[in-house]
Amino acid sequence: MLVLGIETSCDETAAALVADGTILSNVIASQIDLHARFGGIVPEVASRKHVEAIGYVIQEAFDSAGKTHTEVDAVAVTSKYGLVGSLIVGVSAAKAMAYALKVPLIGIHHIEGHIFANILSNPGTPLPHVCLTVSGGHTMLVHVKELCQYEVMGNTLDDAAGEAFDKISKFLGLGFPGGPAIESLATQGNRAAFNLPRPLGRSRSFDFSFSGLKTSVVNMFKGRDRETLPLPDIAASFQQAVVDVLVSKTLQAALHKGVSAVSITGGVSINSRLREDFSAACGRQGLQVFFPRRDLCTDNAAMVAAAGAARLKYGEMSQLDLNAIPNAPLESIGCAGKHC
Amino acid sequence: MRVLGIDTANLTNTIGLIDGDRMVTDFAWEARDNSLQRIIISTDLVLKRAGLTLAEIDGLAVGIGPGSWTGVRVGVTVAKTLAYAVNKPICGISSLEAIAYQARSASILLCPLVDAGRENVYSAFYRARGKTLAMEGDYYVGNIKGLTERVKEPALFLGKPAHLYRRAITGELGDLAGFGSPSDTSSGCVVALLSLTRFAAGAADDAFSLVPLYLGESLAQALLRKKETEAGDE
Repeated sequence: MLVLGIETSCDETAAALVADGTILSNVIASQIDLHARFGGIVPEVASRKHVEAIGYVIQEAFDSAGKTHTEVDAVAVTSKYGLVGSLIVGVSAAKAMAYALKVPLIGIHHIEGHIFANILSNPGTPLPHVCLTVSGGHTMLVHVKELCQYEVMGNTLDDAAGEAFDKISKFLGLGFPGGPAIESLATQGNRAAFNLPRPLGRSRSFDFSFSGLKTSVVNMFKGRDRETLPLPDIAASFQQAVVDVLVSKTLQAALHKGVSAVSITGGVSINSRLREDFSAACGRQGLQVFFPRRDLCTDNAAMVAAAGAARLKYGEMSQLDLNAIPNAPLESIGCAGKHC
Repeated sequence: MRVLGIDTANLTNTIGLIDGDRMVTDFAWEARDNSLQRIIISTDLVLKRAGLTLAEIDGLAVGIGPGSWTGVRVGVTVAKTLAYAVNKPICGISSLEAIAYQARSASILLCPLVDAGRENVYSAFYRARGKTLAMEGDYYVGNIKGLTERVKEPALFLGKPAHLYRRAITGELGDLAGFGSPSDTSSGCVVALLSLTRFAAGAADDAFSLVPLYLGESLAQALLRKKETEAGDE
């Protein structure tokens, strides 16, 4: 089954063609340079850029896959979770494609997409497993019971982990996006240099909180001349605090559910420190750990196409009145609007 | 030429189908009922009423605004993706021109208005030239007073905001101001009709690069521009 995936939930305009678990094309037009001038993502700017790029990106997905419109069996689109103005552009385009090509349309939750980014990269990931999906927009722990069967175990109560990286990066004058900037600087620093809090680290809940950690860093160094700040040590200590919380909560969740594997997805899962620490900690606990291919960590449409194919296999599809819902809950298959 | 016309820039969203200069069917709904949810179902309804499939039309026309930024993004994205998917030509039409077209038989200056929020309007001046309309000057975005200051001759104010601001307009312009019917709004058929001359002249738009006419920028863009201009001045 050949599925066209479309993803515009934040600042990447993406389209992909995926055939039965094989990625034929995965096109992403990033707006990151555009938003860097603003120091963060500006929703109206993102929406406008999506309209400009969407046609070219879809065409490129067909061209690089060597496929034609008539070969498409379904269109999957991120319709839930993200910036509403951005989601609207992708859903508009996806509906038009599905209607014109007379194929099923399937709306996908952005978080489900990230869960499938790992399944697409590592088809052997055991089920059930626990997935930590972590980016600039979300930090969520999900018990993946079966394909398309989920229990959300924890969520961030304030900032997403990637958002905390962005804010600290801005505070330290390192620019946007913060993840790569802090990671790069942290390699030269001492991660034990400053004693930063591990928020909710001892709590039995699986929720996260990064706002207090951010404030601790700001309070520790505000008013100081930037030239005198030990930037690499701050970056390394801050990064380690975030990674420690992510690792401990995820392992706690895995033990609680008695699963044998965890997957770490989303933009922050590219972080090398995070990958190293997860691998070491999971090794000690006898857990398998899986990360998506690097190009599937950040937002992409291949993961959306893969999730769409899985849902279609169960006979689920959306109607042509599909809406864009920015804060929709992650739902298991067959559970739309119900409490499963 | 059969053309499907779409305009979602206004409070009333509309889709229509023409066959040559004959209006076949037109359908409208209120934007508060959700442009995104209803646009494809409404497109399907209009085509089914006409007994046609998307592949059987010859082109698409779409109102590119000015108007609701989100609304017009839905219309433009859907129209250009449909055009791309079935490989038909597309034409972007000013949503203001589509309103002015309803009063094309009037011999005075036409001044269509679209709500721009925060007590501002989008507008432009048009004059009928035979069967077509000629735009005079630039687009306008701002308050009613700023618009009326530009009017020096009898003018016909059109569109829903014209009635909302009728007292203010009359207060500034007195007898110079005339008003169209409150039902004057854009329609899918009119957008399609306006595209005919453009298609005939070989002036279709490129479906990939077609974007809305915003006539404004986001607050963040405005602030950044101000900051960069100030930095440049120093």
